[in-house]
Amino acid sequence: MAKPHTVASVLTGPLYSSILTVLIIVMACVELCDAVTVVDVYRLVQYDLGGVPFGSRLAALNHHAGSSSFFSSSSAAADLSRTVLILPVRELNLTFITEYIEQKKPLGGLLLLLPPVFSPQNIDTGGGADHESAEDLVKEVLGELEQFLIHANIPYPVYFGFEDEHVNTLLADVKKNDAAGQPATATTGGYKLVVAAPEPKKIASPTITNIQGWLPGLKGDGDSSQLPTIAVVASYDTFGAAPALSMGSDSNGSGVVALLEIARLFSVLYSNPKTRGRYNLLFALTSGGPYNYNGTHKWLRSLDQRLRETIDYAICLNSIASSSDELWIHVSKPPDNAYIKQIFEGFSSVSEELGLKVGLKHKKINISSPRVAWEHEQFSRLRVTAATLSELSDAPDLLESTGGLSNNRHFIDETLISRSVKLVAESLARHIYGQEGKNIDIFADDSSLSVNPSYIRTWSEFLSTTPRVAPFLSKNDPFIMALKKELADHTAEVNVQQEILDGMFTFYDSTSGKLHIYQVASVTFDLLLLLVLGSYLIVLFSFLVITTRGLDDLISLFRRPTSRKAKTA
Amino acid sequence: MTIFHFFNCAILTFGPHAVYYSATPLSEYDTIGTSIKSALVYLITALVKLVCLATFLKVSESDSFDPYQELLKALIGFIDVAGIYFALTQLTHRNISQNHKFQAVGLGWAFADSVLHRLAPLWVGARGLEFTTEYILQGLEANANLVLSISLAALCSLMWLRKNKPKTLIPIIYTCAGIVATMPSVTSYMRRGLGWHFPEIVGFELFTSLIMAFISWQLFSACQRPSN
Repeated sequence: MAKPHTVASVLTGPLYSSILTVLIIVMACVELCDAVTVVDVYRLVQYDLGGVPFGSRLAALNHHAGSSSFFSSSSAAADLSRTVLILPVRELNLTFITEYIEQKKPLGGLLLLLPPVFSPQNIDTGGGADHESAEDLVKEVLGELEQFLIHANIPYPVYFGFEDEHVNTLLADVKKNDAAGQPATATTGGYKLVVAAPEPKKIASPTITNIQGWLPGLKGDGDSSQLPTIAVVASYDTFGAAPALSMGSDSNGSGVVALLEIARLFSVLYSNPKTRGRYNLLFALTSGGPYNYNGTHKWLRSLDQRLRETIDYAICLNSIASSSDELWIHVSKPPDNAYIKQIFEGFSSVSEELGLKVGLKHKKINISSPRVAWEHEQFSRLRVTAATLSELSDAPDLLESTGGLSNNRHFIDETLISRSVKLVAESLARHIYGQEGKNIDIFADDSSLSVNPSYIRTWSEFLSTTPRVAPFLSKNDPFIMALKKELADHTAEVNVQQEILDGMFTFYDSTSGKLHIYQVASVTFDLLLLLVLGSYLIVLFSFLVITTRGLDDLISLFRRPTSRKAKTA
Repeated sequence: MTIFHFFNCAILTFGPHAVYYSATPLSEYDTIGTSIKSALVYLITALVKLVCLATFLKVSESDSFDPYQELLKALIGFIDVAGIYFALTQLTHRNISQNHKFQAVGLGWAFADSVLHRLAPLWVGARGLEFTTEYILQGLEANANLVLSISLAALCSLMWLRKNKPKTLIPIIYTCAGIVATMPSVTSYMRRGLGWHFPEIVGFELFTSLIMAFISWQLFSACQRPSN
């Protein structure tokens, strides 16, 4: 039996290598992390306009995380094609990002972090007056960023997420690593961001749904001719950089809420035959607003021509909840037209009583151009007198002011909606009952016909938490059903018209996803570990051979096999 | 990276068993049959322990340390010792010396323990993208467990197979065997009662296993001297 070696050699062998292994592993590994984090993220819109691609063209994401501090430490010519840049919008350098995208520099992906105030879970009151200037600044930056991203063609995935504690700690970690000068790649460890999404597919035949409600007037016994009609119209769908986050509280959520409240007030008046007016009322909630008011166009053409001819005039509502300075009435017929004058005078007299300023703006329509900037222009093209009431003073461009990310409930004021409702309802009522110029307050406060602020608040909240991009609303979407039911409560007859969105716009699906954040160790770490383990096992082997069989056996293992055979023979 | 990591941890967990078998004279005397038999005995012992635990222990909601429950678990742990007794004495082995018998039994015992307790979590967990040191620590624990099993088998073989032992050493042998047998209870006390984290527990296990191995080696060689 072999004599055991001295105590020292016995202890140093395995103990030393064990401690060394543990120490190396502790030093080389990233600090112990919490479990995999999963965050909801929303993708930038992807669409084709007349065949030209726009937006982010990819959805799946599987790259390492990087931050903006990477640029300050190393040269700008770093290869980021396998990195996802995480940029908080709060600290965004807009010129930097626009240059980066315009110059088509390669990037693995982009993750933009929005402040929590823009989150759909954050139902803030529409009080309006108490938002700070910092948030206003972010809103402006976000608005500009949105417009830029919508009109850019980006070949990598772009996602929007919200700042919460997990993401903030991740970003702080990534910034620390980047400031130390080493970008995260497969060989240096770091964080990996993964969004598992299938390739985005075209949405075939996107539907737009128009909902109309009809409130008939009082027909006298001897009346053979049709009663005149007044139409109140608002488009309810939105478009923004992140379709899953386009709530459009102001554009045009405020218009929809105002229309519903006006419908409710007139339904109360018309329910009693003694107070029913001699005008029919037509309420329409149209879709396809951002796309040159495509829905309004189709709805008008589907109306019976005789009905269309009885429309005295139409009032379109668009964005009435943010600005308390002045409201504008936009028309396409010249201001000295008799009808326009009448409408405007009616509105001005009511607005004076309310302490509100209303101005008149005239914009000629161009029949040959496909661009329709205001909803009333669709009416004017069919020779129906119409006007749009809006806080916007200038006509928006295509896909501008369509209720995107920056159009958030936090920045609207519901009292402004109430005021506009009163303005429109009072003006219409005075015209219907022939009380123009008279000192009468039909929808007085504290009366049974007063504007209901909690109704406005409830609907405003509902609209602020429902993304309403038309191609992503299915035919029987619960939102559309809710609008239909509400209009049916206030009107006598409701019709729903469903059409296909015109072919100029093509949309792609995959609007949201789940982002998985993994903390990964580098390949070099595993190689190092393999080396350590290999040496540990070799040391263990040698130790066991030495102690049980003797040193000679170990040496003889490395000699030629013939010498061993000679030994045993 | 992930399959690579799994491979590394598997080497760490199961490599030492293979190395032990091939490095010591166990491979020359072809004692693989003994190891397999003791692995089977371990499986049966584990089943019996599970049944006893299920019958006698109540499930506690909190993760705190309950002395009564731990005492019961320690008693059930002695079934381990009974299993080793069975493997050492009752089974018919080929004619191999006592020295190699306890090593083979300990090796088979430890290998079965590693496979049963550590293979499944390793396969499921180590292949994920997320990096944790948990599986490396688990491998180190498997190493400590190997050393402990062999020490326990050595002490048990001293107790039951060797007839003429120096009188003074007998109580020491029994106490050492008792300590090694109650190691699982001690580690669970540390995890629950003292609130140690996994790395600290693994370090403690490695340290004590080496100490116990050394002590049992000295005892074994001390008992061998009279018969030489």
